[in-house]
Amino acid sequence: MESIIKVENLVKIYHSGGSDVKALDDVSIEVAAGEFLMITGRNGSGKSTLLHQMALLDLPNSGQVIIRGQKTCHLSEKKRIDLRLRQLGYIFQEYALIPELSALENVMLPAMMIGTSKAAMKRAIFLLDKVGLKNKENRLPSELSGGEQQHVAIARALVNEPKILFADEPTANLDTTASKRVLEIFKNLNKKDGITIVMVTHEEEELIYAGRKIRLSDGRLA
Amino acid sequence: MTSQARLSFYLTLKYLQRGRKWTLFLILFLMSVAFVNLIFVSSLFTGIIDGANKQIIDTMTGNIYVTPSDGQDFINNKDSVLKKIADVDGVESLSARTQVPARLGYKNIRGNWQILAISPENEKQVSIVADKMIEGSFLDVDDEDQIVIGRQIAGGDNVEENAFSFKGAKVGEKVTVLFDGMPKEFTIKGIFNTKFVDSDKRAFITEKELDKLIPSIKDKTTTIVIRTKTKDETKVLDRIKALNLDVKVYSWQEATGLMKSVASSFLSVNVLITLVGILIAAVTVFIVIYVDIINKRKQIGILRAIGIKPYIIIASYVILSAVYSVIGVLIGSAVFYFVLVPYFGAHPFSLPICDATLVLSKTDYISRAEMIMWVSVISGLIPSAIITRTKMLDAILGR
Repeated sequence: MESIIKVENLVKIYHSGGSDVKALDDVSIEVAAGEFLMITGRNGSGKSTLLHQMALLDLPNSGQVIIRGQKTCHLSEKKRIDLRLRQLGYIFQEYALIPELSALENVMLPAMMIGTSKAAMKRAIFLLDKVGLKNKENRLPSELSGGEQQHVAIARALVNEPKILFADEPTANLDTTASKRVLEIFKNLNKKDGITIVMVTHEEEELIYAGRKIRLSDGRLA
Repeated sequence: MTSQARLSFYLTLKYLQRGRKWTLFLILFLMSVAFVNLIFVSSLFTGIIDGANKQIIDTMTGNIYVTPSDGQDFINNKDSVLKKIADVDGVESLSARTQVPARLGYKNIRGNWQILAISPENEKQVSIVADKMIEGSFLDVDDEDQIVIGRQIAGGDNVEENAFSFKGAKVGEKVTVLFDGMPKEFTIKGIFNTKFVDSDKRAFITEKELDKLIPSIKDKTTTIVIRTKTKDETKVLDRIKALNLDVKVYSWQEATGLMKSVASSFLSVNVLITLVGILIAAVTVFIVIYVDIINKRKQIGILRAIGIKPYIIIASYVILSAVYSVIGVLIGSAVFYFVLVPYFGAHPFSLPICDATLVLSKTDYISRAEMIMWVSVISGLIPSAIITRTKMLDAILGR
């Protein structure tokens, strides 16, 4: 199958306490379109770092991230923002919602960058309904449970119809029921809508949802 | 406006609507305090300068001051000169004041205070002295052997120059006026207090009395004080000069003497204090807004991560800062104009030269409001621009 993401010889070094820490050490992987890939590994293995590079939230020291055939590491920040806005969705471990915006407004926000408010609202309402938050559109994040906030974050990540959805330990702060619900949503998005999903987890029991899994250890593929 | 630009306003609106109310209240409170601080001191100094100038005009010089030409002791043909000046366009009222060459005595105290012979009716048109009687009353046209003296001559406890005064002369008591060594007794008809020390060191008798005492100076005078219809006396001054009378014509600013340098000193101090005030206000506003935005570092990182362009994020915080400043200026203005100005109007600062109220010119108000707004906008721009340039993950993860 056609590869949608290609990571080539990725190296990421952090400077910490006067010494260099190699978070990613010559990592190369390919993700096929429509795949549900899970990245796992111990704490500090480099899995979140890899996801940040793939989702264009950070730049590597060397190597290349190719998304749908486009090399991204030398793109201007403006083009990287545009690529992130239109083709990638990202879900943070701690939801990362804007506290002053309601659930609906949080979801609408990225869509308002590329379309009208009316169209953004229509799409946001549809997605909130899809993730089970009908009638809670006008609640602020502080008025929602952790699971509900993560559902809002998922809806926000989907609002611009991304080709790839990245999720960094999306169930880490959720109870078992809420975690299962999130993973079911991912499964449906992958199976029914054909969205490519790349998810980081360290929960072994979640790996059953993955189409493929890779393990990182000390910044290398294990 | 593009939909992206509208997004900045949208975000600003939401920050204001749903942000922490106490934080918003505190920011607006500090902004308004900074603005009030900026205009209060300046307006007080302007009030003192204006008050002193008004005292000079109202009690001493009028708007225009006429003296004998060089080498002359008197303005001759007083009545004719007065009539010619009275006919000049823009002249509202005028009064001749003739300096009496005499000394004043009370009990065993003698002094060289200025004694002026006036027409009481004319004097009331050009000066407020008649309205400032603290004892007795002002002169009437037909008064003879009557004198009104200033508070600094009468003296008494709490009088600034009591040591050089009559130390407590009262209305109804007698004072002696010595003309060429010849004494003439006058009864104190009234004592005035204009709250302007120089003005209160003068005494007034009627022209009629002077004509009787020194007939040789009838139809002569030493000064003419003129009030103009408008505050800008320049044109009237030029018109009077154009009459080519054998006199010297001054504007009140030229005739103020020592007060001119006092006013000038106040002006310099005002500029200095205003500059310090501006610096303090600028630093206060900058810190308040900077801290507010720096605390939203994570939020700015999230906005960037979900694809919101940096200029939209920066604009939203710049607009937010501008809104803070506008509301701060409005609250500050309301406090100033509806609380402080009426309060100090009713309870002015009592100074030896005047009762000072708060006076703020439109230009000063606008320039200070603009300053607050510009500092706010810059204070919003700098931190938000810095955060949108830092590594996105560092902002989100608080590294």
